Amino acid sequence: MDLFANLAHGFGVAFSPINLLMCLIGALVGTLVGVLPGIGTIATVAMLLPITFGLPPVGALIMLAGIYYGAQYGGSTTSILVNIPGEATSVVTALDGHQMAKQGRAGPALAIAAIGSFFAGCVATVLIAVLGAPLTKLALAFGPAEYFSLMVLGLIFAVVLAKGSVLKAIAMIVLGLLLSMVGSDIETGASRMAFNIPELADGLGFATVAMGVFGFAEIIRNLDFGAEMNRNLVQQKITGLMPTRKDLIDSAPAIGRGTVLGSILGILPGGGAVIASFAAYTLEKKIAKNPSRFGRGAIEGVAAPESANNAAAQTSFIPLLTLGIPPNAVMALMVGAMTIHGIVPGPQVMQKQPDLVWGMIASMWIGNLMLIIINLPLVGIWVRLLRVPYRLMFPSIVIFCAIGIYSVNNAPVDVILAGVFGLVGYWLIKHDFEPAPLLLGMVLGPLMEENLRRALLISRGDWSVFVTRPLSAVLLAIAAGLLVLAVLPSLRAKRDEVFTESES
Amino acid sequence: MADTMGHTASTTPDASTTRNTSVALGIVVLAVAPQIFELVWSLGTVVGLGAGRTPLSALAAHAMALLLAFPSIVAKTALSPDSLLALIYSYPLFAIAILTLFVKIRAPQDYIGGIVLMAVALFALWASSDLQGMHGFSFGAGTAPRMFGVLLVALGAGIALTGLLTDGAGLSHYSWRGPLFVAAAIVFFALAIRPLGLIVTAFSSFLIAAVGSYETKWIETIIVGACLTLGCAILFPYILGLPMPMFPRFLIQ
Amino acid sequence: MTSIRSLAGACLAALCALAAPASAQNYPTRSITMIVPFAAGGPTDVISRIVTAHMAQTLGQSIIIENVVGAGGTTATTRAARAVNDGYTLITGHMGTHAASVPLYPKLAYHPEKDFEPIALLAGTPILILARKDFPPKDLKEFVAYVKANAEKVNAAHAGVGSVSHVSCELLNSILGIKPVGVPFNGTGPAMNALVAGQVDYMCDQIVNAVPQINAGTIKAYAIATPERNPSLPNVPTTTEAGLPAFQAQAWNAIFAPKGTSPAIIATLNAATVKALDDEAVRKRLLELGSVIPPVSARTPEALATLVKSEIAKWTPVLKPAS
Repeated sequence: MDLFANLAHGFGVAFSPINLLMCLIGALVGTLVGVLPGIGTIATVAMLLPITFGLPPVGALIMLAGIYYGAQYGGSTTSILVNIPGEATSVVTALDGHQMAKQGRAGPALAIAAIGSFFAGCVATVLIAVLGAPLTKLALAFGPAEYFSLMVLGLIFAVVLAKGSVLKAIAMIVLGLLLSMVGSDIETGASRMAFNIPELADGLGFATVAMGVFGFAEIIRNLDFGAEMNRNLVQQKITGLMPTRKDLIDSAPAIGRGTVLGSILGILPGGGAVIASFAAYTLEKKIAKNPSRFGRGAIEGVAAPESANNAAAQTSFIPLLTLGIPPNAVMALMVGAMTIHGIVPGPQVMQKQPDLVWGMIASMWIGNLMLIIINLPLVGIWVRLLRVPYRLMFPSIVIFCAIGIYSVNNAPVDVILAGVFGLVGYWLIKHDFEPAPLLLGMVLGPLMEENLRRALLISRGDWSVFVTRPLSAVLLAIAAGLLVLAVLPSLRAKRDEVFTESES
Repeated sequence: MADTMGHTASTTPDASTTRNTSVALGIVVLAVAPQIFELVWSLGTVVGLGAGRTPLSALAAHAMALLLAFPSIVAKTALSPDSLLALIYSYPLFAIAILTLFVKIRAPQDYIGGIVLMAVALFALWASSDLQGMHGFSFGAGTAPRMFGVLLVALGAGIALTGLLTDGAGLSHYSWRGPLFVAAAIVFFALAIRPLGLIVTAFSSFLIAAVGSYETKWIETIIVGACLTLGCAILFPYILGLPMPMFPRFLIQ
Repeated sequence: MTSIRSLAGACLAALCALAAPASAQNYPTRSITMIVPFAAGGPTDVISRIVTAHMAQTLGQSIIIENVVGAGGTTATTRAARAVNDGYTLITGHMGTHAASVPLYPKLAYHPEKDFEPIALLAGTPILILARKDFPPKDLKEFVAYVKANAEKVNAAHAGVGSVSHVSCELLNSILGIKPVGVPFNGTGPAMNALVAGQVDYMCDQIVNAVPQINAGTIKAYAIATPERNPSLPNVPTTTEAGLPAFQAQAWNAIFAPKGTSPAIIATLNAATVKALDDEAVRKRLLELGSVIPPVSARTPEALATLVKSEIAKWTPVLKPAS
C-alpha cells in the first residue's frame, strides 16, 4: 500500500505544470541530442547543468533525466538512417537497423525502436518503483571479480554478433582492446602509447572512434565510384512507414526479452547498459530459427537492443536513488545538479526527499509517453530525409559529425583523429573487417582490464577468485559455453560467406 | 597511425593481377612507414613548426638503427627506441615481405588484411615496450597492452594464413577523390574552428567535402551549405548551449 | 600533432596581434571564460559556479564556465597557461592541478608558480578518513594501530591517480609509514560503491560525497583532516583531537590567470572574489557543501602564492616515489 501512496504522491509532483514542462523539454532535448551524431548525453547534460541553477531541484532533475533516456530514443535514429551510432548503446542497432533502411524499411525500423523503447521504459519504471530497494543488493554484490567475468562474457557476445568470419571478429575485438589501452594507466598513471600527444593522455574517445569507423568511413565508402546506383535504388524502395502486423508479431517477444535483460544489467554500475544492448542482440541471434537473417535486416535485431538499452537507462537510476551513488558519468552529473541545489544524495534520499525520488520515477513514465508521441510522427520526417540527394546529405553529415566530436572536449585534435579513423574504417571495410566488434572491444576493454587488475590486487594475485566467487564463476561458465557455440559451427563447416560479403 | 599507412601496402591494384613482388614491396614500405612518417614530420622543424629531431638526425638515427639493431642486441648494449622500433616492428615485417615472394596468395584481401593487423600489433608492442611489466602480483602498465599485442600478432598471422590456404576475395578498388576531400574537410574544420569560428568553418568545410563527389552541383550546394551553416549557428550555441566561437576571433576583438 | 597545434597557435597569435590590445582600464568589457579542469557537478565545479555567479554581478559581465577534463586536470591547466593573458580566460585551479601535479607528472607542460598569476583562494573541501562499516578499528588510534599491524592485508581505495583521494591517502600512508595495496577506481562514485559494498577497507575522500553515507551508517569516518570540526559532521573528531595531528589536508580551490595578466585586472578580480566570499547567500551554499571559507588574511593574491609554494613543498616528497 505504501507503494501506491508513494506513487500517487509522485504523480502529484510530476503532474504539476512546471514539472510537466520540464519533462517535455527534457524529452525534446534528449531526442535532439540522440539524433545529432557525436553530441553525447554527457556533454549535453554538462552543458545544461548551469541552466538548472535557476530551476527548482525536482524540475531540474526531471529535465536532466528526460535528456538521458530521451537520448536513448533518438540515438537509434542515426544508427538506422546513416549507420552512425551516437552512443555506445546503439552500436548494435546499426547492424540490422541500417540494413533495414537500405531495404527501404527505415520506417518500420525507427517505429519498432520507439515502440520497443516505450514498452521497456514503462516496465523498467515500474520495476524501479516496486523492486528498487532489493535490487540494490545486486549493485553491491558485483565486485571487481564479477565485473571482469561480466566483461569477458560481453566480449564473447561481441564475437557472436559478428556475421562474417569469427577469426576476423576476434581480431577486431583485440584491436579494439589495444586501442582502448591508449592513455593513462589507471593504477600507475603512466602514459601508454600516447606519443606525448596531450589529447591522447586520457585515451581515444568513444565518439571519436565511432564517428570515424562508422560515420566518416561510411561516407567515404558511399562516395566510391559506382555506389550511387545502390543509393538511388534505396530511395525508390522506401515502402511503408509503420511496421506491419508481421513485424509486430516478430518483434514482440524480442522486445520482452530485451526489456528483461536490460532491466537486470542496467542496475550494474559502469558498462551495464552497453552490455545489455548486445546481450539482447546475441540472445535473439542465438535463439532465432534462422540466425543468418541477422545482420541483413532482421527486425528483432533492432527491437531487442533498443528495448534493452532503454530499460537499462531507466534501471540505472536505481543505485542513484537507493544508494546515492552514481553508476555512470551522466548520473554523476545529476548528483552534481543535486549538489548545486544543496541536496547530496545518499542512502536515505528516498526517505528524506520523497518529492524528488517519487516525482522523478513518476516523471519517467510520463516522459516515456511523451517520447513515443514525439517520436512516432518524426519517423515520417526522418524517412523523408533519406530522399535528400546524397550529394547534399554527405557534406551535411560531415559537418554535423565534426561539430559533434569537437563539442565533446572542445578539442580540434579529436576531429582530426576521427578523420584518421574514418580512413582506417574505409580500409577495414575494404578488407571485410567489421567495425562493431572493434567498438565493443574499445568500450569493454578498459572495464575488463581495470577490474581484472583490481580483483588481482584485492586477492593479492590469486587468480582463483574468478572461479571461487559464485557469481563470477557462473558468468565465466556462460561465457565459455557461448564461445564453444560460436566457434563450433565455423570449425565444422568452412563458411562460404566470404564470397557473398563483398557488400556488407 | 600505422593503419592509415597500411594503405600504401593495400592500394596495389586489381586482385587478379596482384603479383607477389608488388605485395612484398608494399610490406617493405609498411615496415619502414613509421620511420618515413617521422622523417616527413621532422621536415616541419626546418620551417620552425613543432618540436622533434631535425630531418637529418632522424634519418641518420633510423638508418643506424635499421642497420645495426641486430649487432647491438648481440653485443648486449642498451637499445635506443629507434633500434627497438627496427627490432620489434621493421625486422619481422621485412621477414614477412621476403616470405611473401615465395608463397601463393589465394585470398589477397585476407592475406594483406592479416599482415597489416600484425603490423599494427607489432607497432603497439613497440609503443608499449617502455612500460613497466608485472611486478609481484600486480599488473604493470605494460602487461595488458603486451598481452593483447601478442594476441593480435597471432590473430593477424592466422588471418594471413587463411589467405594462403583458402581461395577468397581479391583486393577491392579504392577511390581517391572521396577520401581525399572528406579528410580535407575534416582537417580544415579542426584547424579553423578555434581561430575562425563556427560560421566560416562550417560553410567552408561543407564546400570542401562537397568536392569529394562527382555529382555535386555548385549552386544548390552553396545554397544548402549556407542554410545548414545558419541552422548550425542557431542550433549548437543557442539551443544546445555548446560553447563555441561563432565568428573569426580578429573580428570579435 | 604537436606541430598542427602550434600551427593553429601561430595562426591564432597572428590574428590576435591584428586586433587592438584590450585595455585594462575598463575591464571587463566582454564575457570572461572560466576554465574548470574537472567535470561539471564535481566539488570544484560546484564551488566555481557558486562563486562566479556572484562575481559576474559585481563585474557586470557574464562568466562562462568551460569544463575541460583530462589527465587529472592538467589538460585544462595547460590550456589556461597558454591562453591570452588579457584577463578574459581564467582557471579555477585546485590542489591537484597547482601543487600535486608537479611531482606526479614529470613532463608537466606548465609550472603552477611560473606560468600563473594567483588571484584569490575560493574555498576548500576538507578530507576525511573513511572505512567500510564493519572495519574492526573503532577510532583513529585503533585504526592507526590496525593498519600498521596489518599493512600487508589492508586495501585502500582511491579515485584514480592524481585524484584528491589518491594524493591525500598517499600523505596519510607516508605519515603512518605504511604501503598498503592501493586499489584504483575511476572516480569517487565507483570508489564509494566499493567501500559501501565492503570490497575495500578504507579511503580518504572529500567531505561532500561522504556526508550522506556516514549519516546513513553505510560507512564510517574516523577523523577530519582540518584544524576544526565541520558543522555538517559535528561528531567526527579532527585528526588533532584523535591523535594524528600530522595529517592535515584540504582540497583547496583558487582562481588563477595566465602569467603576465595586468595587476589592475588581478586587483579587480580579487576584489570581486572577496566580495563574493563575504556574501551571505554564497557563504550559506558553500557551508552546506561542507566547504571551508578562507579567512580574510588568506584571500590576497600574495597569500595564494604562498599557499601554492607551501603545497608544492608538501606534496613533492609524498608523491615523488609513487610516480
